[in-house]
Amino acid sequence: MIRIELAKQARPRTFVALGALAGLTVALAVALELTGAGRAEPVGDIPLLLVPAASPFVLPLIALSSTMKFFLPLAVSVFAGEAVAGEARWGSLRYALGRGVSRSRFLAAKAAVAALLSLAAVLLVPLIALGAGLAMAGWQALPAVDGGASAAVRQAPAVFAPAAALGRLAVGTGYVGAGMTSVFAFAFFLSTVTARPLVAVAGGVGLTILSRVLNYDYLPGVAVLSPYLPNNDVDLWLHLFQEPARTAGMGSFLVLQAIYTGVFLALAWWWFTRRDVLS
Amino acid sequence: MIGVELAKQCRRARGWVTLGVMAAVPALLTAVIGLTRPAIPERVGDWGSVVTSTSGLTMPLIALSAMQLFLLPLAVAVFAGEAVAGEAAWGSLRYVLARPRSRSRVLAAKAGVAAAFSAATVAVAGGSAVLTGVAAFGWTPLTVLDLQHTTAFTYATATFAPGDALGRVALGAGMVAAGLVSTFAFALLLSTLTASPFAAVAGGVGLGLVSRALDNVAGLHALGPWLPLTDGGSTLWTGLFFSPVQLDGLAQQALVQTAYAAVFLAAAWLRFTRADVLA
Repeated sequence: MIRIELAKQARPRTFVALGALAGLTVALAVALELTGAGRAEPVGDIPLLLVPAASPFVLPLIALSSTMKFFLPLAVSVFAGEAVAGEARWGSLRYALGRGVSRSRFLAAKAAVAALLSLAAVLLVPLIALGAGLAMAGWQALPAVDGGASAAVRQAPAVFAPAAALGRLAVGTGYVGAGMTSVFAFAFFLSTVTARPLVAVAGGVGLTILSRVLNYDYLPGVAVLSPYLPNNDVDLWLHLFQEPARTAGMGSFLVLQAIYTGVFLALAWWWFTRRDVLS
Repeated sequence: MIGVELAKQCRRARGWVTLGVMAAVPALLTAVIGLTRPAIPERVGDWGSVVTSTSGLTMPLIALSAMQLFLLPLAVAVFAGEAVAGEAAWGSLRYVLARPRSRSRVLAAKAGVAAAFSAATVAVAGGSAVLTGVAAFGWTPLTVLDLQHTTAFTYATATFAPGDALGRVALGAGMVAAGLVSTFAFALLLSTLTASPFAAVAGGVGLGLVSRALDNVAGLHALGPWLPLTDGGSTLWTGLFFSPVQLDGLAQQALVQTAYAAVFLAAAWLRFTRADVLA
């Protein structure tokens, strides 16, 4: 069942989405190499001051932090939002359901395939960036200057051995991946409700936009909502590259993701198993 | 022709609802800030900060910079994206074109009405903020804290008489509206390409999202000045409220907006005058 659905996804859209992410990462690496690989780039809100030419781990950090708020949620929404609504739009949903398997299994297979592709998207960005970084800098330790704690007279540097940096990068990637689950679940839920894939995709992206718009950085007075919005704290993994690593808020973010994911996947299942499929 | 289209748009609820929401959001902001945090400085743009309770004229600054991120582009995309695709979705486009008028004139009338409503959106948002702000906090001189030049020892401030401040608000609202021209033109182009208004609106909003996301990629700073919607470009108008006025980059912004608008509008015209209209 999963294998059939996976084979079905081997179509241009999938490769375009993954290819665009890979292309963006490569463009980023090339742009940095051409314009100033030896200059420190401020990364994230802390900010971390990182020199791309110093270590292979800088490019993955930059790539992941600049795709986590829009391009990765977009790719994940495309995979999740297309899953069921794509069949409905082609009018092939009724035939897909005509196979001798339960709707629950069908939905599980769709979700599993979309999740696999989403995971591939999240892994693709840091892996390609790491490859580019290795080509640029070789296997070097990662020096990270904490721009938040630094003053003009005193810099606060931390140096991570290659293995430690790789480990932290892996944890960070996992954290970003976990942050995509709420987007995934919401887009997947919409995908079971609507017959128009675009609505589901826009809804998934809309959830991340909503959480950013309802953020106190932009709108005063809505600070009370911030802790409950699913996409605000997806950048906390950058604090792993401070010395000492700060993990405050990461736990509650993961719990929030689990809640959003659980609720929307349950809603998707509840709706889809009862739905009157007309298309 | 414009009169007919204008009457059509005025009879529909959607335009008035959008304008109503745009008027309600600043009023809501005034209420929330007035009740919860009137004395806390609010950030405006990159380098400015205002204390709300000191003057009612702080509200248009806060409201415009908060709504500029998402709500205003959304409203503009709604008006422009609906313009042609809305008729196509109803299946009434062929009858509109059956009138003895050239397609160019139909498109111009549609675009003119959508542009008028888009401009009205910004005006309504700014006007509502001025009215509710002045009602809540008074018609007093506007003081803006210039964080760029503020040090631990001195506050750099600029104070404007109420009338002067109102003039600058009007000018600022004009710059905000001008910054949305690329969004408008892109949504109008999509509106001529698709029969689904939702796709045109989502695409119009998407242009801004992609542009901002690319602007925030750490290595691609060189792209920044050439993107249609960026943090730097959209906060340019806040430079009006410093003393002396800071408008570096205004020419670049005007050039970029004009270029994008010209390309998208020309493409829309090319497409619409040649399209095989089936809806």
